[in-house]
Amino acid sequence: MPSVIKEFTKGLWDELPPFRVVLGLCPTLAVTSTAENGLGMGAAVLFVLTLSNAIISALRKIIPGKVRIACFIVIAASLVVAVELLMQAYTYSLYQRLGIFVPLIVVNCIILGRAEAFASRNGVIPSIADGLGMGLGFTMSLTFLGALRETLGNGTVFGIPVPWEAFRPAHLMVMAPGAFICLGLILAGMNAFNRHMSRRKGEIPTEPKNAACASCAACNLCATARKEN
Amino acid sequence: MREIINMIVVLSLICAASGTLLVNLKQATKARIEQQVLLNVQGPTLMAVLKGCDNDPIADRKKVGDVTLFPARKDGKLSGVALEAFAAGYSGDIGVIVGFDVNEDKLIGIGVTTQTETPGVGTRIMQQGFLKQFRGHSLDGLDLSSRGGDIDSVSGATYSSTGAVDAVRKALETYRRIKPQIATLWAS
Amino acid sequence: MEYLMLFISAIFINNIVLVQYLGTCPFMGTSKSTDVAIGMGAAVIFVMLMAVAFTWPLQHYVLTPYGIGYLQTIVFILVIASLVQFVELFLKKVIPPLHASLGLFLPLITTNCAVMGVAIMVQRGEYPFFKALLFSLATGLGFLIALVIISSIRERLDISPVPAVFRGIPVALITAGVMSLVFLAFQGMAA
Repeated sequence: MPSVIKEFTKGLWDELPPFRVVLGLCPTLAVTSTAENGLGMGAAVLFVLTLSNAIISALRKIIPGKVRIACFIVIAASLVVAVELLMQAYTYSLYQRLGIFVPLIVVNCIILGRAEAFASRNGVIPSIADGLGMGLGFTMSLTFLGALRETLGNGTVFGIPVPWEAFRPAHLMVMAPGAFICLGLILAGMNAFNRHMSRRKGEIPTEPKNAACASCAACNLCATARKEN
Repeated sequence: MREIINMIVVLSLICAASGTLLVNLKQATKARIEQQVLLNVQGPTLMAVLKGCDNDPIADRKKVGDVTLFPARKDGKLSGVALEAFAAGYSGDIGVIVGFDVNEDKLIGIGVTTQTETPGVGTRIMQQGFLKQFRGHSLDGLDLSSRGGDIDSVSGATYSSTGAVDAVRKALETYRRIKPQIATLWAS
Repeated sequence: MEYLMLFISAIFINNIVLVQYLGTCPFMGTSKSTDVAIGMGAAVIFVMLMAVAFTWPLQHYVLTPYGIGYLQTIVFILVIASLVQFVELFLKKVIPPLHASLGLFLPLITTNCAVMGVAIMVQRGEYPFFKALLFSLATGLGFLIALVIISSIRERLDISPVPAVFRGIPVALITAGVMSLVFLAFQGMAA
């Protein structure tokens, strides 16, 4: 049981996507112009990730190694289509606002990365915990980034104006440059916090680890596929 | 050899399972998605065309053949119907919703639902200057002035205007065809 | 004229990475050196063209006529994934020098949302076939240009005194933000 809790909580801080482990940048940057969109995207990813982790770990013994990536893709893509249908049926305006990024959940490195790195090697319950934790972490990060950009760029949070009269929002922050700059500043802030923490523990501050490709599980996945060939 | 068979069997089983799931889910959500699309895509235009009605045209819609009709009631009496029609514009199809007054047999007005015209040029067909020409127009003689009618095209956007007028004329034909049935459709 | 405008708009005004946010993962991951950036950019252009060339007929002759448009996502990703595999095998057998320079990047492209994104975008925009091909070529070129620019900036940044906490991805993201600001100015061209 403690290990299940650990699998769950690691996604909330230690391996928090996309701030600690730089994964799934496209939706992170694209849909976070408002807090509500960030929350919606995060929830869609949470749903797909948890279910794909559960299904893949349940089937991990019968999926042949050589076609496992194809199987993962089929499972993840079916779940994404299911999410698309459900979103169209129940939250159509959110579906319209997220636009092309709903089908693109399927190529989000988080889904395939967790499938390969975790779900295909662990039992169903830890895999669900892993998916829930990672998905929740992703949702929180996206909502946070969305709220930040919405505040700076539009002067509102979840559509409610911030109670500060003198504040003049900079519309730039809800456009593309604001997305890149905000995320860059948050990552730098995380690095500063980590250095501070490790210094307090008396350790030598380590170099920041969030180099995108090294930590991008999908790239590791390609590397392992390459070795097998 | 056994390995290859195993691979094919597993992959096909997964595909079959996901296919079954999705087909069923599609069936289950079909009606709701249709409703949502109408509400979000056609809805705003529809309400603008049929403004002043005191029912919900989307909830009361009925199908005749492959045409969806949206009724408008005033004081409990059927006052108008609206329907959507498409025609080719400058790039891609233009969709218009045309409202008809069933009592006086004339147009209530039109609105554009879907278009992919050139921004700033063809999209001017969505502005009131062009649209208001259709308001209260009789069923006869509706055509571009260049073709002997009395609708002036948006200058510089002949193709887009032609597309919009073609779509309205299509809606008009459909209305004429199904008019005898309209009174009985919402009889109750 | 319309096609020229489309071409320029897809490269600069609606740049795939800096304005539409697609393909930011490889944009951050493979922009450490200019050589790698050129290889990756070329591979993306190639796969993007192939992906649109295959998915467009599939959408118009299979998915839409049979009313199974909702399976678009699943069909497209499978086509792109197998296409990438196939292209890799083909290049390895037929043009080994090209495989040596592009081969390393091909598997990375399966999970590149720019490729899948362009395949879906040409369907949502209802482009005719040749316009779709032109659009994908221009979009790929836009990706290459953005990638080469940022990689040359990052090569300089590596030897510059950047504050420790900003080193690596954070400063790259902020650089991308400034580049995006510059590309935003191209939008004035369209108005």
